[in-house]
Amino acid sequence: MATIEIKKLHKTYSNNQHAIKGIDVSIKEGEFVVLVGPSGCGKSTLLRMIAGLEDISDGELYFNDRLMNSVHPKDRNIAMVFQNYALYPHMTVYDNMAFGLKLKKMPKAEIHQRVTDAAKTLGLTEYLNSLPKEMSGGQRQRVAIGRAIVRQPDVFLFDEPLSNLDAKLRVQMRTEIKRLHRQLKNTMVYVTHDQIEAMAMGDKIVILKDGVVHQTDSPVNVFAHPKNKFVAGFIGSPAMNFVSGEIIKEDELFFINEGMKISVPPPLRISMENYLGKKVDMGFRPEYVYDKGLEKERRLSTDVEIEILVVENVGSESYNHFRLNGMDTIYSYRSSSSHAHFPGEKLTVGIDLERLHFFDNETEETIL
Amino acid sequence: MVSGDELNIKMKKNNSTKKEQQFWAYTFLFFPLMLLTIFLFIPILFSFIISFFDWELMAAHQKFAGLNNYVEIFRDKIFYKAMLNTVLYTIGVVPIQTMLALFLAFVMNQKIRGRSFFRTAFYIPAVTSSVVTSIIFVAIYSKEGLLNSLLGNLGIQANDWLTNPKTALISIMMLNIWTTSGYFMVSFLAGLQNIPDSLYEAAKLEGATQRQQFWHITVPMVRPVTYFVVVMSLIGCFQVFDQVFVMSDGGPNNATTTMSYYVYQNGFRYFRLGYGAAAAIVLAGIIMTVTVIQKKYFPPNPY
Amino acid sequence: MRAIKIQKIILLTILSLVAMVYLGPFIFSVIVSFSDNKNLINQPGQIVNSGWTLRNYIYIWKDLPFATWLFNSVIITVCQTITNVFFSALAGFTFAKLEFRGKNLIFGAMMASLMIPGIILIIPKFMLINELRMINSYPGLILPGMVSVVNIFLMKQFFETMPKDLEKAALIDGCNYFQMFWKVFIPNSKPALAAVAIYTFQGTWNEFLWPLIATNTGEMFTLPVGMASLRYELLTDWPAIMAGTILVSIPTLLIFVIFQRYFVQGIASTGGKE
Repeated sequence: MATIEIKKLHKTYSNNQHAIKGIDVSIKEGEFVVLVGPSGCGKSTLLRMIAGLEDISDGELYFNDRLMNSVHPKDRNIAMVFQNYALYPHMTVYDNMAFGLKLKKMPKAEIHQRVTDAAKTLGLTEYLNSLPKEMSGGQRQRVAIGRAIVRQPDVFLFDEPLSNLDAKLRVQMRTEIKRLHRQLKNTMVYVTHDQIEAMAMGDKIVILKDGVVHQTDSPVNVFAHPKNKFVAGFIGSPAMNFVSGEIIKEDELFFINEGMKISVPPPLRISMENYLGKKVDMGFRPEYVYDKGLEKERRLSTDVEIEILVVENVGSESYNHFRLNGMDTIYSYRSSSSHAHFPGEKLTVGIDLERLHFFDNETEETIL
Repeated sequence: MVSGDELNIKMKKNNSTKKEQQFWAYTFLFFPLMLLTIFLFIPILFSFIISFFDWELMAAHQKFAGLNNYVEIFRDKIFYKAMLNTVLYTIGVVPIQTMLALFLAFVMNQKIRGRSFFRTAFYIPAVTSSVVTSIIFVAIYSKEGLLNSLLGNLGIQANDWLTNPKTALISIMMLNIWTTSGYFMVSFLAGLQNIPDSLYEAAKLEGATQRQQFWHITVPMVRPVTYFVVVMSLIGCFQVFDQVFVMSDGGPNNATTTMSYYVYQNGFRYFRLGYGAAAAIVLAGIIMTVTVIQKKYFPPNPY
Repeated sequence: MRAIKIQKIILLTILSLVAMVYLGPFIFSVIVSFSDNKNLINQPGQIVNSGWTLRNYIYIWKDLPFATWLFNSVIITVCQTITNVFFSALAGFTFAKLEFRGKNLIFGAMMASLMIPGIILIIPKFMLINELRMINSYPGLILPGMVSVVNIFLMKQFFETMPKDLEKAALIDGCNYFQMFWKVFIPNSKPALAAVAIYTFQGTWNEFLWPLIATNTGEMFTLPVGMASLRYELLTDWPAIMAGTILVSIPTLLIFVIFQRYFVQGIASTGGKE
């Protein structure tokens, strides 16, 4: 069990590419932390620095308050599960899991105990004598996890372990890994580019872009209170809708552009005074738009006229893509599929005022 | 959009492609196959036939000799000497060449700068004519040559490497290793690059040293290439000829007579074509036996 | 961190030393070839004292049949390269994409022939060429090597990696199989064709045993055979011989340096991948 402290970590490559630009993360004992972000954001690099597979250019890494910067990977008491499993193709499942323990010259009996226990936990007992090439992707991933378990490490590291699996399997393995976490109670650091995976699995999510942390928070908070436009747009599917406009005052503060005029919600009125006459971006999630004709009137919503362009009916619900009041940009909202819309339909929808987000047009920070 | 009728016609066309394919296949294969038949398949069969005759080029009628050629071969002291030389040659060259090639490939794989340059340097001997390299090494090996003068600087006594029966064969073996290890190094390099980095990283995390990584990961994973290299080496070493001809002409005193050279000598110096053919068949038999044994007991993919 | 840097320096040093051993003999040869000191093979360091000269190259070119041998080599090599590329592509295509009676039998025979060591062929081929009265002539030197099983196999493997849809699309467009071969597959096979061309070029240029047997007068010698004859004639005129070796090596060296990529690709694909 370990706590991990990452302080002002930097990573610069020999070609002067500055991949990690001063990252701070604090991981508690037994926490399941997900590092997520678009490709190239540095999440894998960060994970590898925690593992010791990459050097730390600047900053400090602590496990249980012990400085780890120059400690060899094998002495960090960690285990890593790789994206492509990294199983030794010429060894059986048993030997794959036992390899590291044999290197440490552990007694045979103990090795056998650990391997068979791990195999039982992962449902691999009947495969112990098989070779990796005889097994499916999901099974191979379990072997990779088993190899990590037998080391009984302080920290588990996962580098996009589910990316090579098909969608259905991914969802299944997701729950298995979470179950494992509940059972073993280890500190786990998990890297993925899939924000749904991140949201589903993490106790805490660290959102990265271009080598910098944009927000560290629980899934709920990241969804409801994104710190900036990037986080707001990255989390949630379909993505949040963004509209550019200006703040004007007509008795009250309004957000306007050529297609709409929305009254600024009361909690934000004070902050918005500073933005009078300035450009501001507004965001609203597809989840918080509703058919006025179908649903009960909600308090604090505002009406907009839309024209539907494309409808994606995925069975349980519909993603409707529309144009607002004659504007060019296409937005989307979700509705139940019991009343399907069709392309070309014009209707009025309500946007939930309590769920609006406003962002400074230049800094892209959320206006609070 | 294709109409139903057009589609039907096209489908019919596709169904008759079987005949069409056959026509084209035979047309395409006509010349290549004819060439192969005349210059490959027939000679193979023919060589068996020749070996049972006392073949004289100029004679109108050939004298049937039955197994005489073979019997004579197995009674010939020089044949045994040639076989011994060839076996020693192979046993000496193949392991050293293979290990050297693997070692060089392993070093080259370690993100070193100038990899292109080194790869070229190691490979150049392999693309050069064997006659050329043999001649250059005659100059190096000769009594007044480069090797002796270099050794002289180290205080080692000069030797006439190619005319000394004790050192002649080994000298040619060294040349062979120098020539083809670069070629096999490139094969190994390709094989090494097929091993995913993550395997080494996983091993590193589990505490494997460089040496353990080499033996537990590199060597097993590169096994198909090793198999290929060894088989190619074996076949090449068993048939070594050019260097022997150019450097020592089989001498001194048959010290460098290899089985290939024995075939050449009997066939084209003594003009005993039937006998030479028989010797070639014996040599081929040995090579194929060795290859089969290797495939059975040291297969490329036991897992 | 620093340990890794030191390790890299050590490795680099080892590689450089080894490279010297590999390149050394050629450098030696070049040095000697430009010298007018016939004893230079003993002390190439003495090059500083002896003179530089082109005499040896001129001698090789003018006073020895070198030009004739070069001409022969070029003719034979170019012919065999062209025919190999064409026939192996044609045959490779046939085995890769066409179905016909006897296909497995023929292909099996070809693969089986690969197991037979080449030494067996020497004598019967000689006798055959002799019967055809082609000894000591261009046909005798060119015909046996106009196509090889290895090249056919290489092209077949390559064609098999090309998308099947190309065939179907071509058929639907109304191509017959030759048009498909010539207009669709060949233009997309440049790397494989290049590999075959380069291997054949190198193999034929450097070939020794067959030209040795199949020729008996100096005018029909190829370069390797000619050089071998020099070895015993010019026994101690090392600078001259070395000039010859350098001249012989230049074409293959040039081709190798320029087309390195294809050499490496070719070996990588036959190196027994799983």
